[in-house]
Amino acid sequence: MSNSILIVGGGFSGLTAALEAAEVGYEVFIVEKEPYLGGRVSQLNKYFPKLCPPTCGLEINFQRIKKNPKVKFFTLSEVTKISGSPGNYEVTLKIRPRFVNNNCTACGKCVEVCPVERESDFDFGLGKTKAIYLSHPMAMPQRYVIDGDVCSGTSCGKCLSVCEYKAINLEDQEKEIVLNVGSIVIATGWKPYDITKLTNLGAGQIKNAITNMQMERLAAANGPTGGKILRPSDNKEPKKIAFVQCAGSRDQNHLNYCSYICCMASLKQCIYIREQYPDAEIVIYYIDLRAPGRYEKFLKKVQEDEKIKMVKGKVAKLEEDGEGNVIVTAEDIIEGVKKEEVYDLVVLATGMQPSLDGVEGVFDVEVKEGFVVSGEEKGIFAAGCAKMPLDVMTSAETATGAALKAIQNLVRR
Amino acid sequence: MARLKIEPDIQFIKELQEAGGESLKKCYQCATCSVICPLSPEENPFPRKEMIWAQWGLKDKLVNDIDIWLCHNCGECSDLCPRGASPGDVLAALRNMAYRSLAKPAILGKWLSSARYLPILFGIPALLYLIIWGFTTGLTIPAGTIEFGKVFPGDYTIDPVFGLVAIFVLFTFASAIGNLFNSFKSSGYVPKEDAPSFWKCLIDIVKEEIITHSKFQKCSSNAERYQGHLLLFYGFVALLIVTSIVAVGHWGGKLIGHQLHTPLSLLNPIKWLANIGAILLIAGLVLITRMRLNTDPAKSVSSYYDWYLLGVIWAVGLTGIGSEVLRLANVPGLAYPVYYLHLVFVFMLIAYLPWTKLAHLVYRTVALAYARQIGRKGLDE
Repeated sequence: MSNSILIVGGGFSGLTAALEAAEVGYEVFIVEKEPYLGGRVSQLNKYFPKLCPPTCGLEINFQRIKKNPKVKFFTLSEVTKISGSPGNYEVTLKIRPRFVNNNCTACGKCVEVCPVERESDFDFGLGKTKAIYLSHPMAMPQRYVIDGDVCSGTSCGKCLSVCEYKAINLEDQEKEIVLNVGSIVIATGWKPYDITKLTNLGAGQIKNAITNMQMERLAAANGPTGGKILRPSDNKEPKKIAFVQCAGSRDQNHLNYCSYICCMASLKQCIYIREQYPDAEIVIYYIDLRAPGRYEKFLKKVQEDEKIKMVKGKVAKLEEDGEGNVIVTAEDIIEGVKKEEVYDLVVLATGMQPSLDGVEGVFDVEVKEGFVVSGEEKGIFAAGCAKMPLDVMTSAETATGAALKAIQNLVRR
Repeated sequence: MARLKIEPDIQFIKELQEAGGESLKKCYQCATCSVICPLSPEENPFPRKEMIWAQWGLKDKLVNDIDIWLCHNCGECSDLCPRGASPGDVLAALRNMAYRSLAKPAILGKWLSSARYLPILFGIPALLYLIIWGFTTGLTIPAGTIEFGKVFPGDYTIDPVFGLVAIFVLFTFASAIGNLFNSFKSSGYVPKEDAPSFWKCLIDIVKEEIITHSKFQKCSSNAERYQGHLLLFYGFVALLIVTSIVAVGHWGGKLIGHQLHTPLSLLNPIKWLANIGAILLIAGLVLITRMRLNTDPAKSVSSYYDWYLLGVIWAVGLTGIGSEVLRLANVPGLAYPVYYLHLVFVFMLIAYLPWTKLAHLVYRTVALAYARQIGRKGLDE
């Protein structure tokens, strides 16, 4: 029997669940597949509705983790096998090599000499990093990482010679470890829906039709443009911007459910775009504007802005003109008019696809459309967007609930 | 805001669902359909508005709607519909309702709306030709070389029957077209003063759209349907030309004393055309039937109107070819009965035409010409 809890996923839900359990005395292990903790929240520019930067919430959690010896975490790691039974699970982890050890001080000398560039996945392809990189300035752990797929290894070795701290080991290998835990929390989160599947919306081929998550990176101070919102094709300041709601959500051909946060995300983005460009005009094309609960107030506030127009009618066609502008076709169903409008920049409010969707599952739980819908009797609990599409605040609440249930599963045995 | 009083016709909604618009309640008014339809115009685009009219049971608006005829049912809207509401099927169902209501007598519309009445539809011509067979050879197979004229002499049986049928169909259509024009006008679409004449528009439509199937071709999601329809269309055109030549050659020949005799020799170019027409017909039928059988039911479901027409054309084609082959193979015991069936199915195709889906050849042509006259065209056209 084990009194430890495995938390799969080191995003906001995973961190919350881990801390809630650890702070009442339980040992927790966080398994994170990225090189950093913080998940999708660390990629955001701002939270809604308060419009504070996500570093707020993350930094506090990172501090709590650092101070708490009960929390252990593994980055670049994935669960490959689970055996045993509730109260006594044996979990096998695969840990990919980071090539950089604890000695790293994040001084950045290695980056200066590294000759290899790669597309930044953290910035959704909008920026570039070297083969040795720090995903973002706030990354936890503050340690560089090498992308083994692009690094030329010991044949180059330039970083080795400039690193004073002997922090780099280009021969680092994949490891496997086994943990013994009593409960499991699945907090694997979500991924933005793949826009290459949205054939009528350009299938990702239209440069200036970006996703809402790309917009977050464009607007973030630590993003590829330093927080200046510029359209990708020519770095022009956009003056006319359109939001395409339900890009892949509420659609039986794509995600057959409402992703819950996209309306609020677009409204939030409208606010910060308008702050940056007081003359910019924005149109939001929607089927229904969903501002659940008290978020209604936020919607009202955005609706009061004269430069933000809301058109009821889904955009079903996007095309590119010769100058990189995007032609949007939609029917304004209140007016009964179908029109083509040209915009400098288009933001696709792409939905939330659970990370487990379409992935061969190692967890013995029932999954519907990628969301975990059972497992409690097995001592396996879902939190955050692994459970359903949620905003950050509610994700944290479900994580607290999952932590309590995980503890109950240990205690009641 | 202006108040709009809605008086939903619940019965109409039910009938529409039965006529093939089963999925209409699934629509949540996103307007994807109106946008991706290349034929849908800028002002009051379709089919999104038809979907809400259908959900609300606004019968008056729907029965006068010209747009149901502008739709070529390519299925692109149903493919992309996020809710499986199949707007393409709903518009097809609205056309099915129109076949039922535009032409009189209404009882025929009812008989053509459900498989339950098939025995009547089949029974009428079956009995008629059986009586003729009884009169001519006493329901026996005549001896000697196979000549279908021995059982069903053209001059006294086939031509008068189909002549009367043709007159009946023409009068039915004339009155139905009048109804159609009135309905378009009552929905507020009237040609402007400087608009081209209806006849000019009609000729242009035939030249530019019908013989080339140019609008059908715009549909990227269902190429098989376009090809199938094109083959069927030209199959019918070929067979129509053959029938006309034979009729004119026969009756016209009588006047000048030099008649065209059937059956024609296999070497006769008119017979070539007839056989080519039959091959086109079967090829088109194969494509369209395959397309309908393979369609994902979550996207589109074929209605009784679709299957009635396809079934009758299959029956006409197969019995037609069967009669020719059995005649050439000299199997009188089968050749005469198969020819008898052929006549029955041809009757079922032509006499009931205004109430079947095939009536679209008249209604759609008229609507397209009228739409051209009032300048109603797709946003991209």
